[in-house]
Amino acid sequence: MNPLTLYQLVAIMLLALGLFGLIWRRTLIGMLICIELLLNGAGLSLVAAGQLTKASAVLGQLGTLLIMGLAAAEATLVLAIVVIVVRRFQTSDSEAVSELKG
Amino acid sequence: MEILAYAAFGLYVSIIAIGGVIAVAAGNLVRALVGLIMTLFGVAGMYLLMAAPVMAFMQLLIYVGAVAVLIFIAIMLVRTGPDGDETTSRSGRQILYALLGLAAPAVILSSVVVTNPVESFSTPTAVTVKELGKGLLGPYTLAFELISVVLLVAMAGAVLIAFERRISK
Repeated sequence: MNPLTLYQLVAIMLLALGLFGLIWRRTLIGMLICIELLLNGAGLSLVAAGQLTKASAVLGQLGTLLIMGLAAAEATLVLAIVVIVVRRFQTSDSEAVSELKG
Repeated sequence: MEILAYAAFGLYVSIIAIGGVIAVAAGNLVRALVGLIMTLFGVAGMYLLMAAPVMAFMQLLIYVGAVAVLIFIAIMLVRTGPDGDETTSRSGRQILYALLGLAAPAVILSSVVVTNPVESFSTPTAVTVKELGKGLLGPYTLAFELISVVLLVAMAGAVLIAFERRISK
């Protein structure tokens, strides 16, 4: 097995763990933690592809930087939404938030 | 030297795996966050191993420095019970779906990756900070500017959402 395959397998492990947790978790913050795992796997795979093949290494690293920025923006927004949900429903359980307007 | 690299790789893989399992399965959200931080450190170690020290530094700065603190403050604001709120039991169907979500990408993607290996170097190409900066200000300027706009909008949007008045029901 060549090095790139090993790194890709680690990234797949992060993806699988994140997907499992996304379904397994009950609270919104627990789901957010799992999304961070998923995005980390994506970044690892991208940097490995850039560093270990003939593809542009600069593009791989800057793409991962973009993913990190998006992850930070996403975490900020999701946490604001969680704060609102807790204020309205008194819980952050994803099962409890099933009320629609109208 | 190569054995040393594989040993470091194994160490980082075990850090990532243990941290990931804690992050996914811990009943207490603070413990889950500590598991996530452990995984983030493991991934930063992998970036170092791939001769991408800038990415390792950014990983620690952005994820461990910013995102983890953000999640920790959210856990504080949500005020869970002393036992954590992930301790309730799950139905059989939920466990089945979660296992399917784990198995489907793991089986399909890893079989694809293992059967069709891409030609790769054993020593990674090192990229200097200068080249990265030239990339940011040269061909990838648009992405660089867009991510700053996205971050600004996300920040403003988060403030706007969090300050909303209680809407009459």
